[in-house]
Amino acid sequence: MNRCRLLLLAALLAAGSASALDRGDAQLELAQAINAVRSAERDDAARYAVAELDEAHAMLASAQRAADDRAWTDAATFSERAKVAGDLASARSRQQRAEAATAEIERSLDMLKTQFSSGGVR
Amino acid sequence: MNSRPYRLASVFALTALCAACATVPAAPPPDIVRLQNDLDRLHSDPRIAVNGGDELANADAAVATLSRTTRTLDARSYQQGVYIAGKLVDIAQASALARYAEQRGMQLGAERERLLARAGAINAPLVARDAPAPLVRNSNGEAVIPARAELETMQGELGGLESRVDERGLVVRLGDFMFEPGQPELTPTAERSLDSLAHAMRVKPNTQASIAGYGPGGDRAARAATVRDYLNARGVDLARLDLRSAAHAVGAGADTRVEIVVWPDYR
Repeated sequence: MNRCRLLLLAALLAAGSASALDRGDAQLELAQAINAVRSAERDDAARYAVAELDEAHAMLASAQRAADDRAWTDAATFSERAKVAGDLASARSRQQRAEAATAEIERSLDMLKTQFSSGGVR
Repeated sequence: MNSRPYRLASVFALTALCAACATVPAAPPPDIVRLQNDLDRLHSDPRIAVNGGDELANADAAVATLSRTTRTLDARSYQQGVYIAGKLVDIAQASALARYAEQRGMQLGAERERLLARAGAINAPLVARDAPAPLVRNSNGEAVIPARAELETMQGELGGLESRVDERGLVVRLGDFMFEPGQPELTPTAERSLDSLAHAMRVKPNTQASIAGYGPGGDRAARAATVRDYLNARGVDLARLDLRSAAHAVGAGADTRVEIVVWPDYR
């Protein structure tokens, strides 16, 4: 979530309605959503954050269907959801990877400590 | 019976009740309460409060904005705001826990290095002492010599690598963290560690190695190939490096790794 997105959220809420969004806004949102989902895929979310990535894909598909129907407000709404869902998939993936790596290092360290205590380290 | 005093009392009571209602602010919607509770939970967790960064600040701002503007929003905008704010809270939690795990991993890695240095043997491997002695077989499949001592000598020359000696030979294990995230490339630390294996194999030209990638990811074969190519670039002949396809476990708990099995070839 970058600062621009937060400002967009604030603007959206302040406006009280998403009905003012036009085709250009919707297409910009859609492009950003696609980038967020692709970024999540590159971050290995398909392995580490399956549910979150699935949700991002579902929102993106809804956004693309709405854009095909020229329902720009719906397209922008679903795109915004796809973006944050994609960001969440990336974050969860990073969390899972980091925790798995740390667990592995911890296991190695425990093995080493065991060897120390038994005099097994040469 | 004159009911006028009772009617007046009722009117006064009703008026007072209405006035009281008008001065008590309406309770926030359950969605807002839930989001605020979630945020409170994140702030009370020291792992998250310390590592929350911009993501936690963004979540705070989003929930505050939503809470402040709830009454002015139509149902659609309100639902959109709840969805986005909820995701921002989740992103803040995941990002903070990732940072916490990364920092903890670095601390544990440093502790491991200190232990190795304290032993006066920075190259000391992780040895499974209870592993059975390996059997080396000739081309007829006959056990010709127990090679454990030779393999343990090699093992002693490995630096920063998790390894053990078992019935297959000297098994060197490269965990997921030895590779760039989601990539087949080795981390600089992994490359330095593999240098010691390459050196040990150059010193003992009768050794062979098989390399296989395991785990649910599609890049396991690419990672195994990266390891083979790296050892080859460090002077180990390709003919001594056998790239194996490995059965892979699929599932959330699957262990992603590359294993190198080294054994002396007495043929």
